[in-house]
Amino acid sequence: MNILELHDVSYTYPSGTEALKEVSFSIEEGSSVALLGSNGAGKSTLLDVLLGMHPHASVTLCGKPLSSYGRKEVGRLIALVPQSEHFNFSFSLLEYTLFGRSPYLGQMQSPSALDAQIAWEALAEVGLAGFEERSITSLSGGEHQLLLLARSIAQQSRILLLDEPTSALDPANRRRTLSLLKGLHSRGKTLFFSTHDVNFAAELATHVVMLKEGRLLAAGLKEEVVNTKMLTTLYGTEMRAQTFDGHTLMY
Amino acid sequence: MVMATLLFALLSLFFGRYPKPGFSIPLDWKSNALMRSILFNVRLPRIALALLAGSMLSASGYAFQMLFSNPLVEPGFLGVSQGSAFGAALMIVLGASSTVAVQVSATVFGLLALAASYFLARRFRFGGWLLRLVLSGIAVSAIFSSALAVVKLVAEPTKDLQDITFWMMGGLWNASWAQIFSIVWVVILCELIIISQRWKLNLLSLGEKTSFSVGINVKRDRTILLVVATVGTTLVISITGLIGWVGLITPHLARKMFGSESSFSLPASMVIGAFFLLVSDTIGRTLLPTEIPIGLVTSLLGAVIFIIILSLKHQEGKV
Repeated sequence: MNILELHDVSYTYPSGTEALKEVSFSIEEGSSVALLGSNGAGKSTLLDVLLGMHPHASVTLCGKPLSSYGRKEVGRLIALVPQSEHFNFSFSLLEYTLFGRSPYLGQMQSPSALDAQIAWEALAEVGLAGFEERSITSLSGGEHQLLLLARSIAQQSRILLLDEPTSALDPANRRRTLSLLKGLHSRGKTLFFSTHDVNFAAELATHVVMLKEGRLLAAGLKEEVVNTKMLTTLYGTEMRAQTFDGHTLMY
Repeated sequence: MVMATLLFALLSLFFGRYPKPGFSIPLDWKSNALMRSILFNVRLPRIALALLAGSMLSASGYAFQMLFSNPLVEPGFLGVSQGSAFGAALMIVLGASSTVAVQVSATVFGLLALAASYFLARRFRFGGWLLRLVLSGIAVSAIFSSALAVVKLVAEPTKDLQDITFWMMGGLWNASWAQIFSIVWVVILCELIIISQRWKLNLLSLGEKTSFSVGINVKRDRTILLVVATVGTTLVISITGLIGWVGLITPHLARKMFGSESSFSLPASMVIGAFFLLVSDTIGRTLLPTEIPIGLVTSLLGAVIFIIILSLKHQEGKV
């Protein structure tokens, strides 16, 4: 079943910049999709479109136009892990993770004990148990990324959008993030992530979407789409894709 | 904190220059008509106005800081203070005989400044929504500042200019029950709306994409809260004149004491704001034989507290 579908989606910013041009593809429920493309290819705009920030009638979520959903309904189906988040106020880790429960709260409702339990379990899942009362302004880069992931886990959505989840991580935190995302994927969560880390994409993705200058270059199963020719065309520089022991390596 | 504020409110009823300067409890107030009038028609409305204005300015400051995700903004951020000041000065120069006319003009021009900031921000083609609002607020403030300077230039120096100057320094000396009843219902409604949306304020202080992804209609909710906070502020300063620092300092103090999550720190900030303004007014009306405008007292106390907070912040590395 396709959980998300795009049909001829174009988007032009008010400044006149044409970011997406007639992009069409679909995402199967339970798949893990890597969004690849050079800087300025339109990856962030595409994530914004999937999130519903640029209302588009040609995007469907679970068979219905995305624009027909209320904000909280979308929040219960799609969670976002941004590339980074600038913290100006020193919420505790638990408070910040609880923000992920907002789509389930009424207009004037505050989180319940059950919400706190879900947030606590999300923190434990990413390895931040015991730090619930710590301030979010005191986190290292790796912990910061794990916290963003914990909030999205607490959101209990069916789809997780991730904007370059490993861009600021050292190898150990990159491996930890990969392991966490593999765990979420194995439990049925649909992942859609943009990345410049092609080997991270090779390890995590079942499907690949390639964007070049706002246009769809290719979309499909990783094994069918990723090859030396496509990667070289996508990035405009010589690239190689090889398979060793069943693992795809791109460089 | 609430008890301390109420206790100080009770005590400040007996601070003043009658029957003797400083603190005195007049035991003969029942038989002394003048004393009764001073207590119930002068000091009590003044105390009530201080509590109302302090809590509203603080709630607005808190909301503005969360909405702009910036702990250094305050309620006058979108040109509202300068707009109100211009409105009041214009009415004084035009020879308005009643303070109500000055209040109405200050309110109308404060709201006009907000509307101008909002519509300018929509027309700007530079940066995100928040940055555009900030930039349009700066432009609108500058325009009303210039207009205010022109009004002061043409003001009659022995009376009108003095009235304008006093209005801009803030003061509760004109407080009356009639004035309070003219704004109290709307101000309390604004306060209740802000309190009811305290969870949303947390979310709106995050990045725009994050707020959106957790189910918030960012533009709509931010606009509603900005309008509510500004209306409350404008109504208060239409009576009190410009009072700085309350909306800037008290949210910081509340967050220091109760953490950044708004469920506790927003109501705490409002109580602290009420207490802060009451203390400032009591000092202003009792310290010297002549009254010190409350805006001067809040500026002095606020600056000292600000320095202390920033020093603590530097040590702890958090707001």
